[in-house]
Amino acid sequence: MRTVLANILAIYRRELSSYFASPLAYAIAAIFWLISGFLFWATLEGIVQQAAFYDAQAQAGAPVPPLDIPYEFIRAVLGVVGSLSLFVLPILSMGLYAEERKRGTLELLATSPLTNWSVAIGKLLGVVTFFITMSLPILVYEAIALANVNPAVQPSVLLLGHAGLILLAAAVLSLGMFISSLTDSTILAAIFTFALVLALWVIDLIARNFTGGLADAIGHLSLLKHYTNLVQGVVDTGSLVLFASYIVLGVFLTAQSIDALRFQRS
Amino acid sequence: MIEVEHLSKIYGSTPAIEDVTFSVAPGEILGFLGPNGAGKTTTMRILSGYLPASQGTAKVAGFEVHEHSMQVRQRIGYLPETPPLYPEMTVEGFLNFVAQIKGVSAGDRASRITLALQKCNLLEKRKTLIRKLSKGFRQRVGIAQAIVHDPPVIILDEPTVGLDPRQIIDVRNLIKQLANDHTVILSTHILPEVSMTCDRIAIINRGRVVATNTPESLMEQLVGGSGYELEIAGNSLAIQQCLKRVKGVKYVEEMRIENMPEHRIKVRVVAESNTEPGHAIAVALVQNGVKLYEMRRVQASLEDVFLELTTEEKPVDPTESETVETEIPASASANVNSEETAPSSTPSQIPESTEDAE
Repeated sequence: MRTVLANILAIYRRELSSYFASPLAYAIAAIFWLISGFLFWATLEGIVQQAAFYDAQAQAGAPVPPLDIPYEFIRAVLGVVGSLSLFVLPILSMGLYAEERKRGTLELLATSPLTNWSVAIGKLLGVVTFFITMSLPILVYEAIALANVNPAVQPSVLLLGHAGLILLAAAVLSLGMFISSLTDSTILAAIFTFALVLALWVIDLIARNFTGGLADAIGHLSLLKHYTNLVQGVVDTGSLVLFASYIVLGVFLTAQSIDALRFQRS
Repeated sequence: MIEVEHLSKIYGSTPAIEDVTFSVAPGEILGFLGPNGAGKTTTMRILSGYLPASQGTAKVAGFEVHEHSMQVRQRIGYLPETPPLYPEMTVEGFLNFVAQIKGVSAGDRASRITLALQKCNLLEKRKTLIRKLSKGFRQRVGIAQAIVHDPPVIILDEPTVGLDPRQIIDVRNLIKQLANDHTVILSTHILPEVSMTCDRIAIINRGRVVATNTPESLMEQLVGGSGYELEIAGNSLAIQQCLKRVKGVKYVEEMRIENMPEHRIKVRVVAESNTEPGHAIAVALVQNGVKLYEMRRVQASLEDVFLELTTEEKPVDPTESETVETEIPASASANVNSEETAPSSTPSQIPESTEDAE
């Protein structure tokens, strides 16, 4: 058990250090920060204008729907950041295995006393850590924006939303890792992972716009729907189990596909 | 230490290797020699557990490579055909990672890495990014990663590819050093490499092992040791009789060569092993009044063995006859043996090595 943990740690460290040594990773992070910063500002501006509009209406005596500005703001920000992440995640996951296959380093990993599981888990932890680093500034922006709100926003709400964002990312990255393990072309891996993300969207749309047995069943599987739940502060064991299932599924499929590679390599 | 029995690997319908059987004793260096595409890499990959075999068994240190993959992986150091390197890491960082995943304990790691760097002459490059290294250095980092965890069995697939002559000598010496307490199996298509470094050679061609032996006995067995080539004038039979009586001569044969000057013949005298009858031959010829025009010592080389074993058996082999022809001085007329056109089985002079065959 100790050696397994040591192996996972070794892979994790290598993976993480390679992100910090890679110009691509910096470019992705920079673009992500630029766009997310702009979206944050735009959302904040929108919310402020909406609040001013409601204030004006209330002073004129018109009926105003109850509105919790801080929570509405958190929901909106995490909504757009979640969508933005879906575009960035395939780029993060595309190289996880495809790159190793292309460079021949998979041959090193496959002939070292490591299980496929520990390699996959180490890699996933590495890329999720990188994503956390990427999403951290948004948490800081929110904390600053909401610092002087009265009554104060519970930090737990904010943290829960971000935990949801990380779980969503981990699930997508895990499946992206599996896709990456199927090919030695990073471009192909990215394209197929984008297709997967689009499929997740379609699932979410079906779940939202249709009713009935099938739509409900699909709705239960929708990552985005469960993400929205967490962002709204609803902690449901079902959501957590669903995220965990997606993550484990991705890791399991990856380990299997790498094992299968040994047999089909011909 | 390594036992391979009846190993076969079939890709689709074409066999990459067929019925390969050999074994390597502890502390021994086995050279796996063969032309490109003969199945060397496939065999290495099966031994390392990277590829499953279609048939047969391969055992490393008593463990079947596929069934007990983990035990085998703990005991081998493996340099694949292309060195598996992470370009964004430093040499030291990479070796540290490899030592970690190979299970070297944290306490030993630093000293093991320094030792591997030392052995591969990489100390001054320890902080350099692998991306910035030349091909030769990368190859050496590849070797360093195979030995960093001090495995009992080391598998090297073409370890000297891309190195300059000086580095090749270093790597060969390194491999020899390793053999003291490791078992080494290396593949190559470079002949001098095996004759210089290996205790035993397995020659593989078209997926089959065609010979396994020590370099010396292979040469002995297949080409018949060293000998002399004589160009003389006179009665062929009488001369042969006379030469056969000389002590140390195993047998004499006339070489059928076209375009010899009139009345001249070339004979090949094959010596018993570990004898040098050169002087005695000269004395015998002089005493019998035979006119001697040329006398040359011919050392059978591994190249001959290799060519003999790996060249297809055709009545007239274009490449071989070419080699023979270039040796003959383009002298005039007189076809001594017009009915014979097949190339002689000369232990020919070493053709310009097969190193640049790729």
